[in-house]
Amino acid sequence: MDVVPVIRRTAAPVALVAAATLVLVGCSSSAGGDDGGSEPLTVWFPGTSEPEIDLVTNTLVPQFEEEHDVEVDVTFVDWADLAPKLNSAFAAGTAPDVFGHGPAAAADLVANERVLDLTDYVSTLSEEDRDDLAASLIGGQVDGTQYLIPLSVSGQLVAYRADMLEDAGIDPSSLRTWDDVRAAADELTEKEGDTITRAGLLLGTAAIQRSISFNALISAAGGQLMDGTEVAFDSPEGVAALEFFTELYAGDSAVGNNLGNDYLNSAAAQQPLVTGDAAMTLLTSQAAMQIAAAEPDLEIGVLPALSFMQPAAFGGAGAGLFINADTEATELSWDFIEFMSSPEISTAYAEGTGNIPIRASAAESEYVQSSRVLQAFLAEMPNFVPNPNVPSWTQIRDVLDAQLEQALAGVATPDAALKAAADQAAGIIGG
Amino acid sequence: MTLTSTAAGELATSSPAGAGARPAKARTRRSGSRRLARAGFLFVLPAVIYIVGFQLVPVVYGLVLSFTDYSPLARSGPEFVGGANFAKVLGDPRFLHSLLVTGQYVLLVLPPLLILALLLAMMVNKPFRGVGFFRSALYVPHIVSLTAVSMIWLWLYSDNGAINGLLEGVGLGSQAWLLDPDSALPAVAAMRVWKALGSNMVLLLAGLQTIPAELYEAARMDGAGAWARFRYVTLPGLKPILMYVVATDIIFLAQSFAEVFVLTKGGPLESTTVANVLIYNEAFQYNSMGSASAMAFVLFAFIAAFSLVAVRNFARRP
Amino acid sequence: MSVTLQRRPASGSGFRRWRRRLRPGSFLVLFASSMLVLLPFLWMISMAFTPTEQAFGDVSLLPAEPTFDNFVRAVEDANLLPALLNSLIVGAIAVATNCVFAIAAGYGFAMLPFRGSTALFYALIATTAIPISVTLIPLFLMARGFPLTGGNDILGQGGIGLLDSLGGIVLPFIVLPLNIFLARQYFSSSAPDLAEAARIDGAGELRVFWKIYLPLARPLVAVIAIFSFTAVWDDFLWPLVTISSPEHQTVQLALTRFLSAGNIQYGPMMAGAVIATLPVLIVFLFNQRHFISGLSEGSVKG
Repeated sequence: MDVVPVIRRTAAPVALVAAATLVLVGCSSSAGGDDGGSEPLTVWFPGTSEPEIDLVTNTLVPQFEEEHDVEVDVTFVDWADLAPKLNSAFAAGTAPDVFGHGPAAAADLVANERVLDLTDYVSTLSEEDRDDLAASLIGGQVDGTQYLIPLSVSGQLVAYRADMLEDAGIDPSSLRTWDDVRAAADELTEKEGDTITRAGLLLGTAAIQRSISFNALISAAGGQLMDGTEVAFDSPEGVAALEFFTELYAGDSAVGNNLGNDYLNSAAAQQPLVTGDAAMTLLTSQAAMQIAAAEPDLEIGVLPALSFMQPAAFGGAGAGLFINADTEATELSWDFIEFMSSPEISTAYAEGTGNIPIRASAAESEYVQSSRVLQAFLAEMPNFVPNPNVPSWTQIRDVLDAQLEQALAGVATPDAALKAAADQAAGIIGG
Repeated sequence: MTLTSTAAGELATSSPAGAGARPAKARTRRSGSRRLARAGFLFVLPAVIYIVGFQLVPVVYGLVLSFTDYSPLARSGPEFVGGANFAKVLGDPRFLHSLLVTGQYVLLVLPPLLILALLLAMMVNKPFRGVGFFRSALYVPHIVSLTAVSMIWLWLYSDNGAINGLLEGVGLGSQAWLLDPDSALPAVAAMRVWKALGSNMVLLLAGLQTIPAELYEAARMDGAGAWARFRYVTLPGLKPILMYVVATDIIFLAQSFAEVFVLTKGGPLESTTVANVLIYNEAFQYNSMGSASAMAFVLFAFIAAFSLVAVRNFARRP
Repeated sequence: MSVTLQRRPASGSGFRRWRRRLRPGSFLVLFASSMLVLLPFLWMISMAFTPTEQAFGDVSLLPAEPTFDNFVRAVEDANLLPALLNSLIVGAIAVATNCVFAIAAGYGFAMLPFRGSTALFYALIATTAIPISVTLIPLFLMARGFPLTGGNDILGQGGIGLLDSLGGIVLPFIVLPLNIFLARQYFSSSAPDLAEAARIDGAGELRVFWKIYLPLARPLVAVIAIFSFTAVWDDFLWPLVTISSPEHQTVQLALTRFLSAGNIQYGPMMAGAVIATLPVLIVFLFNQRHFISGLSEGSVKG
């Protein structure tokens, strides 16, 4: 018996079988997507917040499916995974028809012609509708062209424990500037030896949040992060704002602690305001609403947008929906976006997620009427300053954020940190 | 015959017991050797084809990409830019810093990992009731995904997590483990030691079991104490497997990503920004596949150099 | 020859002598370190049964009011069952291909050396040092261009190839070089005499491998099965970038459902982690005896 042919005869089929398995698995699984007929509309929502998922999958989407007699495939993608997943889906040609993303991503998506210009669709809306949406639509524009329809509006304001301010004899209505708030924070800070046991004031200092807090401060000082596509954060206003920011956390007169801790995204019960670890904190509308819902007995007040030179707060269009430029279901995609931004649905969505509704008319809704916290945020919408909508913003933000961290930690002076960030950002814009 | 015996000689050098474990008599039938060699070639062929196709070809492809500008978001394909990516990457202080952090991380994990794993391996090298339990228990962290264990540790390290709870319980103050630039990297490293302890232990155990008991007996008769037996019998016997363990540990540790991504995202003050975190951001957040590939190749060279030096050092010691 | 004889007693009489010498001290150390190693898992299990509201600031191992809600939510909300099935399928494929190709290759390298086989072996093993970041993007592009799959023509154009398919998930795991290493080491410590005898009886090489050596290599199969299965089961980044539709999700992807930035839902997350860990744990515990002996005999002897 000759051996080699035996092996040849057997080894080859074994290899073939394995290759075939691969191919079969590949074929059979992708074949499912290729069936013609009425393909479901695929939609990706950013973020995996539980109440949002419940609301969207159990209530909103079934309603849309019934109204339009279609099937909608909704996927919720964790924010951290959104960019890799979306970009590889674009590279593969498997990107969804409609997808949600932050306004920060808009400029890059537009530059690469990945998203549809929505101007024509927006113009099909009634004038009344457009006026109602006007304030929030701006956040979804790149160079004046509409690409994104926001799902909600979000903002950050300073919230306080009314009881703590009262104990310290501080009248919240006297706090209108950042300097007022800083002085109050000095009063409210409690220490045991050198450790702060109760922070007077906390701003977001975790990754990315640093740049958001800084945006609020520099805007209040009369400066801005970017002037068009030019770096503007290394201005004297920027340095002053960052000096104020770092002094909150530095040295013997510090009023803040736990630098870098992501309190903003903590569960309501873990919020420093709730645990009593802080008297005042910068809060998102979402976190403020969560606290109000979870701790109804706690008296939480919200200060208006604070100023150095002019009142300003970080805020604007939150994540919104884009239409994939390659979708074959453009009409249905727009129908879905229109549905999500309709008065009733958009308010329900804002309520479900604890955000500010995108429509001005929602101020009359029971959701807003019943919440003092939300009204406070809504009232400040004119003072909201969003992130710049420029290409490579995420990259610029990250270098700024890293340098802000250096300054906050006392490793670099505010001036040097902003200069370094400006240099790096110029490199990103230039190359 | 010459052919097969060299191969057998090669095998013998990798034997931990030293002393030509494989006698050259293995192949007696001269006439069959060519037939056997052909059969051997066919046995390894499918694996070779696969690894060339899906490990080496991608490396070459990646090298090509590192000389291009390519974004998955762009509709156009990769565009040739020459050595620009390498120039940019090697002149980027953040990337060089990340290589430094990668090195620190390897050095923080490796020594305690090896020492603890060796101690435990020596303890479970003796058959006693329940030894199976200990071997398995210590191995369990290895089979749970890094993402899942990182999440457990995220909670353990958190403000109100178990570690601070225990510290407060015994009267010590709590510590912001992952927020302090001094403690963040060691905290991540501690998790990694815990995770890799079992697999290292099992490999070293395997090494220990190949050391002939006679050698210990002979050493004992010569009056060697426990330390001397460890120094002159155990360590030399373990050398091959130790080299293997050190090399693979360095390779895997220098590629760490998941635990840093879940626990610290590279912060605070970039104290935990290992190279792969930066590469990930470059590739997937900023869509610069070309410069990400260039970074990956520099990391590759770094890993290769690091593990070569380590293995050389190890090999030189008596 | 004398060497092979010499080594046998290592696991025999030498051990028997040590049995008498086990000190209570080392037992205690072992017990303590095992507990330390297991403690995070016990917490994980405990958290999985703890209502979300109580999940913080509580370090006791027994939840005050144990609940199954987290498991219900993990299974329902994260669509964990289809994801488990997907992971099982790709895991099984990887186990099968590795057990066939890696073991065959290791056997070939160890028992049937040919001109240049040692160099080839080390070249294959050296590929373990390639960082995943080097090959991720090229592999992605190659998977997209895989011929005759996912709507692609023979040149790999026109469709998505193996992307967004189970075949794509398993693509980087078909033959793991580490397994070839283990198999080669394992077989180089096997006695060659059996093969000689069989060959004299006229058996072909495949038959020698299949009928004589493979049945003896059960511990090796156990090791390779576990390594291959966990490699696929635990992988995160590759499925993240290749899978876009929910029905092809793997377990690790499904679990991110509870990872909303900063606001992790520990209860369901840990329940999911418990469920995701169980299959691997079961495979491991059932094979534990083979596994440890497979590694001990395989990795270095030879």
